[in-house]
Amino acid sequence: MRTTSARRCRRTSTLIIPNLGIIVPNMGMMPQQQGGLASALFSKTQRRVLGLLFGNAERSYYANEIVRLAGVGIGTVQRELNKLAAAGLITVRKVGNQKHYQANHESPIFTELQGIALKTFGIADVIREALATLGGDVHYAFIYGSIATGADTARSDIDVMIVGTGLSYGDAVGVLGEVEPRLGRPVNPTLYSPSELRRKLADDSAFLKRLLAQPKIFLIGTEDDLP
Amino acid sequence: MTSRNLENLVKTGNLQAEPFDLNEFNSLVRSADARLADARNTELSIESRFDLAYNAAHALSLAALRRLGYRSKNRYTVFQCIPHTLGIGPEIWRVLALCHERRNRAEYEGHIDFDEQLVNECLAAAEALSAAIHELDDAGKP
Repeated sequence: MRTTSARRCRRTSTLIIPNLGIIVPNMGMMPQQQGGLASALFSKTQRRVLGLLFGNAERSYYANEIVRLAGVGIGTVQRELNKLAAAGLITVRKVGNQKHYQANHESPIFTELQGIALKTFGIADVIREALATLGGDVHYAFIYGSIATGADTARSDIDVMIVGTGLSYGDAVGVLGEVEPRLGRPVNPTLYSPSELRRKLADDSAFLKRLLAQPKIFLIGTEDDLP
Repeated sequence: MTSRNLENLVKTGNLQAEPFDLNEFNSLVRSADARLADARNTELSIESRFDLAYNAAHALSLAALRRLGYRSKNRYTVFQCIPHTLGIGPEIWRVLALCHERRNRAEYEGHIDFDEQLVNECLAAAEALSAAIHELDDAGKP
């Protein structure tokens, strides 16, 4: 018994602390904490505004639309928009008596900002938040398809693969449908139980093989969770 | 409220107004029920069962829309109207909209992947529609 745990201890270099009723705080990093990465860099209003404009870089929004979708006050939104426009990060176009705002593809850091928006507040955080309310047990989940590969257009869906047990499409489309207006795109979930996924891979499913080989944006879990 | 939602869809061109036709309604429901019965047959391939359940759900949703004097050639719109035509919760039309998306991907883009879970939920959605339509039948036609 002792040798086994000693060997395990050596192999995984995990510190084994006897349970003596001591409260050991977990002081590790929490990479999945909501808004963790992005909130260190941007304020809530900036995250919401940038998330909308750079998460949907192919379309433009008018100010009231941004206020409604971002759920932030008109004053703060207008201030952010003016700042972003002055810096050339977004463009402003007058349509009738409305001003339309869009991510500026010509800006020197467009690709970088879009990457941050997609991986954090623009899409990934919104979907991760929605998945937290999903019933069942999600083992891992990721975005694949055109958004993850960067080949998306304004009309592209967000393809999400969710692997876990006790999941249902009814539940998944329900919680994801709630956040679709904020995302500005439909979310297209695919559900698998771990056993069905393994069985399909053993059956040589062309769809799954291609999917697993593509770039992904992880929402829950990591690449190491894949079969 | 309900009819106002549908009327708005007529104004935007998503729905067309067309007088109710009892024969059409009956044949849509009859054909849907036949396909639904076949979709339950687990001897059939998963692809066939998906097609049968999905098309049964579409025929039933269209019947419900026709009953109120509307039509749409857009399947997504037909599903979207379910809460207004049959008063069934949003999870049913959302599952069917997803099935529609899957069917299009399989037919037009070669993404052929039907999982059993989706087929079962599509079938359950079609059964819920069938039950709701047959309840209407007992209450008398418009």
